[in-house]
Amino acid sequence: MVNVWRFMNIVFLIALWIYQDPPLVSFLFVISLAIIVCLRWRFRLPSWTIIIDLILCFLFIPLWGSSAYGLALPVYEMMSRQKYRFLIVVILLIALFELYSIVLLWLLFQAGTFGVWDASSKKQRERYITEADRERHARQALENVKEELLKSNRKTAQLAEVSERNRIARDLHDHVGHDLTGANLALEAYEQLEGREAEAMLNEVKLRVARSTAMLRDTVHDMTPVTRIGVDVLEHIAKEFIHTSVSFQRSGDMKLVPAHYWGLLEPCLKEALTNVARHSDATEVNVNLDVTTYLVRLSIQDNGTESKHLGEGSGIRNLKVRARANGGSVTVNTVNGYQVVCVLPLEEDKR
Amino acid sequence: MKELATIRFIGIRMSRDFITMILLLGVPIILITVFSIILGEVEGLSGTPIRDETVVLLVLGFQLFGGAITMNYVHQDLFAERKNRLLSLPMNTTLYGFSIMLAGIIYSILLGIILITYTTMVFDVNWGNFIWALLVITLMSSLSSIVCLVFTFSVKNFKIAERLSEVYGVGMILLAGLFFPMPDNALINMFNDYVNPLMLAYSSIDQVRSGGLSDGWLYAALLSVLILIAFGLLLLTGRRRMP
Amino acid sequence: MTIFRFALKRILRDKTNVLFLTLFPIAAIFLPTAEDGWPLLPLGYQYFGILLLFVSIRLTSIMIEDRQKGVVKRLAAAPVSHFNYLWQNLLAFSVIMIIQIIIIISGGYAYGHELYEPWNLTILYLVFMFTAISISLAWNSLYRSKESSFLIFMAVIVLMALLGGILFPVEMMPVVFERIAVIFPTYWLSEGIEWIVFGEDRGDFLFINGVLLLYALFFLIIGSIRRIS
Repeated sequence: MVNVWRFMNIVFLIALWIYQDPPLVSFLFVISLAIIVCLRWRFRLPSWTIIIDLILCFLFIPLWGSSAYGLALPVYEMMSRQKYRFLIVVILLIALFELYSIVLLWLLFQAGTFGVWDASSKKQRERYITEADRERHARQALENVKEELLKSNRKTAQLAEVSERNRIARDLHDHVGHDLTGANLALEAYEQLEGREAEAMLNEVKLRVARSTAMLRDTVHDMTPVTRIGVDVLEHIAKEFIHTSVSFQRSGDMKLVPAHYWGLLEPCLKEALTNVARHSDATEVNVNLDVTTYLVRLSIQDNGTESKHLGEGSGIRNLKVRARANGGSVTVNTVNGYQVVCVLPLEEDKR
Repeated sequence: MKELATIRFIGIRMSRDFITMILLLGVPIILITVFSIILGEVEGLSGTPIRDETVVLLVLGFQLFGGAITMNYVHQDLFAERKNRLLSLPMNTTLYGFSIMLAGIIYSILLGIILITYTTMVFDVNWGNFIWALLVITLMSSLSSIVCLVFTFSVKNFKIAERLSEVYGVGMILLAGLFFPMPDNALINMFNDYVNPLMLAYSSIDQVRSGGLSDGWLYAALLSVLILIAFGLLLLTGRRRMP
Repeated sequence: MTIFRFALKRILRDKTNVLFLTLFPIAAIFLPTAEDGWPLLPLGYQYFGILLLFVSIRLTSIMIEDRQKGVVKRLAAAPVSHFNYLWQNLLAFSVIMIIQIIIIISGGYAYGHELYEPWNLTILYLVFMFTAISISLAWNSLYRSKESSFLIFMAVIVLMALLGGILFPVEMMPVVFERIAVIFPTYWLSEGIEWIVFGEDRGDFLFINGVLLLYALFFLIIGSIRRIS
């Protein structure tokens, strides 16, 4: 845009030159200015090159009065580069050659204003660009944090499982193990003893076995969670859904599914059923949960017809990201009704 | 005669070829405009304004280059990119080449008509009888198309054929003395009087413009003889090279 | 200097090119002198500027060809700067055209043409040659294909010659055109030829050559832009 303006100035000077028919030498002025404009178009010239423009004007104004119109170019340049001290030279030139034409002054004022505007718009553009860069950076960081979070989620689940196993092992070892070993020793001793002592020993064994039974019950009791877990949750959700009838089928060994997968399968089912309730005209929903040795597959299929135009909500998109973080996928199929399929791989050591 | 129906499509192809359009229509318009403004209303030696003379010569001279379109299309379709595709069609290639030639001639005539209308409208150039001018333009464009095709068929390398067609155009203009006066040589004079198609066409129009209808007919007949000779050559060379 | 040598080889390998490059200057020598006092020099020398323009567009077209064939893209990846590529090519073009100028001047001298000041004429042709090369360079930078650039430039050459006063004396044109003529480099060439014939002030000749050189610089800056695609 700036270059268009610059070349327009040159064209104007040429037209003026042809119209006014000044001495031939002044054509040099027009060509030299054109060369400088060209250089400014191709390269970023340093600020001192403005002096060349000014010297050219100084040399040629005595030969051809309208050379003064060429001042518009250096005036624009100095204003856009904020080198205001060159303005003094321009004012001196105007005073020296008594260029008090109102048209010229107006043109120079316009050029200066254009320069100032250009400088400010350039600054603004740079600010916008840095702002956009920063925003992009922040967004990327956020994305990374999300990935990390999902990964650590999976790790935490594994860690919880291991520590729980440790606790059970410790409990069994500390209490049940001790008492049973004691009971075993006591029984062996009982075989060697007779009379009153033997009776005392048997009582001792009885007490120990009773205690370890109670301890075992307690331990198992501690282990069994009060809330529903695993496939029961899914089944419960399906059963509690009141909008349409939901049939829930499952196959395979549910114990193979690691704990943190349920945390993904559950929102998946919820999301699909919510979508059915909110957007679909379906009357029937089939939920299939299949666990094979290699993967878990949850499919929620309805017979709705109006859900085809639906795009992907943020719910499904989120689930997709989470499934990807676990090495699986969530896909949506709208060919026959609306179907959401979530496939998750089973890890090596779980098999 | 389905081959002739392809003229329509060749015409559409030609109308989309902007570079050719610029060269054969834009350039002459600019040149004629500049010449007309420069020459103004100066009277020539024979009484007709120099402008009329130059403009008519220019328009006719550009007809010499009209054959380049035909040549390019024939080369593209029958010898280069589209050769195998066209050969696989149930179509007579000779007739197809002929229809390209017809389309090129018609295109060139159309450009000529536009130029004639432009010059008469804007600069008031005297073309004499419009129908007669049209006839001469038709003869010129046919001749140039046929001559260019002869070049295409007689030279193996298409680049050289192109150069030859340029030599034909520029050479005729040079010999006619448009750039600078030719030396007064008997051979050159005879060539200009009886063979140079540009001079024949110009003389024909000039004679009719100044009332000498019979002389006009004579020059047109000479042009037609040239066309017949060129057509004979075309048949001879084409039989050998046509795919 | 590999690029320079290769450019020379590429130009001279094409037989029509060689023919075109040698035949035309030689033919120009034998063109007659005009009888009615204009053009001032023998016709071949008057029109030699047009020939220089034609030759320069033909020579610089190998740079468009480079662009068309993707050579420029490969060069961008090669350890050769664009500047090197440019100046070595231009040098090759200049060498060829300098040879042409030498041919026409020495040939004309041997043939017995009245050339007034052959040395100054050589200088004028040399300077105009640089202008011609940079004009065609700038022109080529506007086009993607060699053919369209060449064909349209032919028309531009004719227009420049016409309006610049090579085909007609400028004084014959309407006043407006006489002034517009100054824009065209060809005007300065015909002015230079006029100076050589009438030869007055030495400063005028310098001025004319200076303008032509400035034109050369102007178009060189435009034409040196690097266009890869």
